Parts: sequence; C-alpha cells; structure tokens
Amino acid sequence: MFPSATLSRRALIGTALSAGAASLLGTRPLRAQMPSAVNFTAWSAAVDQVKSHIGAFEEATKIKVNYENFPWAQYRTSVVTRLVADAPMDVLWVSDAWLPEFAEAQWLASIDDIPELMKYDAEAAAYCTQSMTYKGKQYGLSYYGDHMSFVCNTDIMQRAGIDRPPATWDEVVEASLKIKQKGVVEYPMLLALAIDTWLIEFVSAMVFAHGGRFIDPAGAPVMAEPGRGAVETVAWIRDAIHKHKIISPGAVETPDINALKAFGAGQHAFYIVPTYRLRALNDPSQATAAGKIRPALMPRGPRANATATCGWIRFYGMTPGAKANAARRANAVKFIEFFGGKDITGTYRFQKLLLTDLGLPFCTMPLAVDADVKAFWEKWAGGGDIIAQQAKSALKKDVIAPWFGEWNETANTAWQSVFLDRATPEAATRVMADKWLELSKA
Amino acid sequence: MSGAAGGTPALAAGSAFDRLNRRFGYDERSAALLILPVFAVLAAIAVFPIVYSLYTSLFDINLTRPWRRPFVGLGNYTRVFADPNFWIAVQRTTLYTVVTVTATTLLAVAVALLLNEAFPGRRLLSALVLLPWATPSVVNGLMWKWIYDPGYGLLNGLLTQLGLIDHYAVWLGDPDKTLFMIANAAIWKQMPLAAILMLVTMKAIPEDLYKAATVDGANVFQRFWHVTLPALRPGLMLVLVYETMISIRHFDLFLIMTQGGPGNASYTLSWEIYVETFRNLKFGIGAALSYILALATFSLSYLFIRALGRKLA
Repeated sequence: MFPSATLSRRALIGTALSAGAASLLGTRPLRAQMPSAVNFTAWSAAVDQVKSHIGAFEEATKIKVNYENFPWAQYRTSVVTRLVADAPMDVLWVSDAWLPEFAEAQWLASIDDIPELMKYDAEAAAYCTQSMTYKGKQYGLSYYGDHMSFVCNTDIMQRAGIDRPPATWDEVVEASLKIKQKGVVEYPMLLALAIDTWLIEFVSAMVFAHGGRFIDPAGAPVMAEPGRGAVETVAWIRDAIHKHKIISPGAVETPDINALKAFGAGQHAFYIVPTYRLRALNDPSQATAAGKIRPALMPRGPRANATATCGWIRFYGMTPGAKANAARRANAVKFIEFFGGKDITGTYRFQKLLLTDLGLPFCTMPLAVDADVKAFWEKWAGGGDIIAQQAKSALKKDVIAPWFGEWNETANTAWQSVFLDRATPEAATRVMADKWLELSKA
Repeated sequence: MSGAAGGTPALAAGSAFDRLNRRFGYDERSAALLILPVFAVLAAIAVFPIVYSLYTSLFDINLTRPWRRPFVGLGNYTRVFADPNFWIAVQRTTLYTVVTVTATTLLAVAVALLLNEAFPGRRLLSALVLLPWATPSVVNGLMWKWIYDPGYGLLNGLLTQLGLIDHYAVWLGDPDKTLFMIANAAIWKQMPLAAILMLVTMKAIPEDLYKAATVDGANVFQRFWHVTLPALRPGLMLVLVYETMISIRHFDLFLIMTQGGPGNASYTLSWEIYVETFRNLKFGIGAALSYILALATFSLSYLFIRALGRKLA
C-alpha cells in the first residue's frame, strides 16, 4: 500500500509541477497567439441574450469567446484601467459618450478599412453611424441605438378630460395643471433628476426639443446664451417644480429606476424615458399602469419648428491590439459582424432578439419593416409609428468630447442647483460654459 | 571565485554578520526571522501603496491621456487648494464629522449608562443595541434611503400618522437637511460600538468610588460628573479618535444615498476623492486629495490623544 501511495503522491506532485510550469511558461504567449479566441468585454446587460448568441457564434465559427462583464456603474473605470494595463481585450461595448476620449487615447481601432463591417452602414440609421464616427473615422458597429421618448398615461389624461398629448411645453404645463386641479394626481409630470446616468440625456432631449444646442458647430459653448435652449429648459424645469408644482421637489433625488416604478404604478401622467423602457412599462407583470402608457412626440419649445429628442447608441469597438494581429483581427471582425451585423442566418438576428426580448431599439433600418418587430411595437407601445418618427428627429448629444465625463460632473451639480432653486438658470449654465472652455483649452 | 575576487567584501560581510550575532541573541534573531514574512507582506500591501500614492500625487496623471504624465511637484496640491469645490468639501466634511462624532459620543454615553444599570431584559437589550452595528454599510444606506423616500418612505408615513406633518416632505433632496439625514444614518450604525466601548470602560470603574461619593452626599448627577465622567476618559478618547477617523473619511453612505447631491449639498472630501479618481480618472489629484485627508485625520487624532491622553497620565 505504502509504495504505491508514495508513487501516486510523487506522480501527483510531478503533474502539479508540470502543470504549474506549463501555465507559467505557456499560458500568456498561447493566449496572445491563440487564433481561435475572442476576448469580449461588456457591461452586465442582456447577459442571457449575449451568452446565447455567443453559443451560436462559437457553434458557427468554432471560435471561442472569452466573455466578461462589469456593472455599468463601474464599466468605464474597469475598461480604462484594463486598457491602460494592456490587458487582453479584442472587442468591447462602448458608449458613444466615451468615443472621443477612447479614440484620442488610441484605445479603439477604426474600422474604415474593414469592408466586411463598413458595408452595414448602408442599412444603418444615419445618426447611429454618426455617433460611431469621430474625426471622420468610424469605430464600430452598433449594439443598440435609442432615443428619449415622451410618454403619457392615457388613463390619467382621460380622467382629466384631456384628449390628446401636449404638443408644446406650455401645453404640458396647462395639461398638468388641469390634471392637478381635478385631483387625479398630485405631480402629473415626472422627471428623474437625480445625479444619475441619464440626467444629461433627459436635459439634452428637452434642450433639443426647445430647438436649442449646448455647443455651436464651431465647438464653442452656447449653453449660457438665452434663446439657445439650455437656459429656457432649466428655467422650465425649475418653474415646473417650484412655481407650477407639477413636478415633485423629490425629483432631484429620484433616479431613473425609481421613476420607472412610480410611472409604472400610475402615479404620473407624463414622463421622459429611454424608449427601451416602454416594454417594461406596458408589461402587466411589472407595471399596474400597463397598457395605458403610450409614446407621444417630444413637446416643442416656443422657438422650435419641429419635435426633436436626444438619441444615443452603444456599439461594438475593436482594440488596436486586436486589429494589429491578423488572427485576432479576423476573429474580432467575425464577432462584431455576427453581433452588430448579420449572423450566419444572413439576418440581423441578435438585434431583433434584443428588441423582442428586452425592448432595445436598433440602428438597422430594414428591421423596421419586419413583421415580428411591428408586432412587438403594436403589443408594447400601441404601434411603432410615433417611435419611428421620433427616432428620425433624434440628435446625438453635442457635448460629447474627450472631456465630456469631467464636464458632466460640473454640469450635473449645476443643473441640480437650478432645480433646487439655489441658482439662476443663467448663472448655472455660465458655470457649465466656463468649465467647457477650461477643459477644451487644457 | 568569491574568495579570490571578492575577499575583502566577504570579510566585511562576515564581520557585519558577526557584529549582528554579538548584538542580538539567538531568540531575537529567531523572532526577527519569524516576523520577516509578515513584515514583507505588510511592506508590499501597505507601505508600498502608501509611498507610491505619495509619488503619484506629484504627477499629473489622467488615465484617459495615457501618453502624458508630467511631473508637477506640489502642483496637484496647489490646484486642490485653489479649487473652490475643495473648500466646499472641507465645509461639508467638517459639519458632517462634528455632527456625527458629537451625537454618536453623547448617545453612546447615554446608552452605556442605561446598560450599566441592572434591570430585567438588560442582556436582551444589549444584544438588540448591537444589531445596527452588525448591519452591512450598503444595507444600512439602502434602508435609510428607503425610509427617507419622499414618495413612499417610512419616515413620512410615520410623521403623517402622528399628525406632525400634513404633507410628505423631501428629506435627502432638500440641501438644508441632506447632511443631517445622512449623519443620522451613520449615527444609527456607529453608535452601538461606541456604546459598548463606553460600557466596558464604565464597568472598570470601582464601585467603591460611587459608594464613597454617595456617603459624601453626592446626588446622581454629581456622581456622574465627578466619578463617571473622569473615569470615562480612556473610553472617550478611543471613541472620539475612532469615530472621527470613520466620519471624516465616510464614503459609502454618500455613494448610496446622494452621490454628492443634491447640487453639492453632500459633496464631502471622500466624495471628491472618488469623483476625481474614479470618474475623472485623475489619479494624481486623487492621490493628493487622499494625502490631505489622511493628514487631517492623523492631525485630529493626534490632537484628541494629546488633549485626553495628557489628562489620563
């Protein structure tokens, strides 16, 4: 017994040492050179759908995918530290807000010279392609593209005798006061104004709907100039909270997710929300007001000629490290095409799956006429016409710049100081404009 | 080889080794050898990061601009002191620390006095008092955020039912109240440990002192003032130093409950460090701010120890 036990132990130790040595000597070069693997980094969203499609990709291409994800709140920091440390990354999800910063740091590779990917531009919405383009170069294919929608609770409107959605911000005040006076709900308008992920999109949507911009075409900040939309927008929100009392003063501590629950519970009549939330808002298992929530066109400001809103996209980007290596580049291109373009079935299967499973809108125009897509919008939004019309009016955030993140920190505090009635719209927007100038010169 | 080419250094090394042997006995050398691994680990995970962060604070490091990393000397520190946001953060941190430490200490003394008395259910109450301390910080923050919620919060419901308010109030969203509401959540969690520390100190006070004071005609307040309070100094010092160090660097409640807002109402130093380091990715400024906060913490602790420790001696 003993000799065999000793032998077995020796064999075990020998095997362990060999494995350890092999891992020390061989793993890194093997990983770097392995031609049949893609390192894909994403935030923790649509995880089940991504894993399912990764399975389909691995099956179809025999290329292994090393998938890792981080929570959205920590994603940018996690990815930046990994990029700085030159960690093995081939493909990653990128927000359009980070594109200038990532492109300037050379963390993303342009796909202009990759025809297998560029061919999808012909079928993509223009604002999506523009959102993936920086200094004339395109940096990826879309994961999804969305815009802020103005949604109404039709039940509350009917109970207050309002037969159509408000078309202007003045009409929003008028309708809200009517609802309030009839005692239907206390705060008819809902805005999630906490310092949160979506604050800049909410405010941008309203600024664009006022016919305004933050930055002029030459890159100079116009946000502090009266008549350019930003001052009027924050003044409207301040008055809605403090003068008309149609928005709860608690809005400054309400993040998007809490607002979603409150609106789904039927506590408010009007709300600005990412369009992909419509599915959850009209799902009876998640919202008591389901079936009564319908999109309307974003109301216009006094100087605006037409409706407008803020759009954004998230996309698949490729790292320069992956592009520089022929094998990694080939795998990464196949992966991006499989997810952001057409897969082996010759259809935009993943983009359609994201919509039908999660409500995430897409950038690919041909899908708009797909029967399943039409049925989806009919079921969850009472039709897709208004969403399609609003999508056409979506504008990319004009404050996207290499210094966007830092400017946004200042802007968030400044917005809230107006919403709290602690600063005038002029003073707060001046702080933002000054910060923009300071950062653009740094 | 070493004997031929390096004879003199070898001899020198040998004599140094001999000197060490003569100076330290076997036990001391063995002890040094045994603690060496721990010291090496501590040096790697504690000393090196501290020194390296000081080094980092002398460079203008922005992770989003990896191609540049200029040496700026004390430039990050001068930029911090010239930034109005820093002084706002100092004000908020000072107010929060004063409120939290004062209230925690006073409540802890009161609770310790109660638990020091003999009454039925004292053991059960002692266990219950400790519960908030055992609650994880994140859970504590989320719980209080819900309690304060302006739409469905327990606090509004309770005050309304008691007839104290006729309309749901905004708590965390009101910049005049925010810091105090966060401080309340912190006090709720930190007070139990402080109370136990005080109780342990109280238990060590000789009963004879109280009996002698009673014989001398001292009433309950006089016994507290002249017997209990002076004897509580060791516990007070411990609580004040500990609570100050915790409060001045408090971060988790600010992250969970307000994110520095509304506006800049809860923009404290720890929050500013987080924003500069992990949002703006400016590691140089973040390291400089961290050093300033660390120095402030050490200075305050030193002052407490000097002030109370001298009286103890």
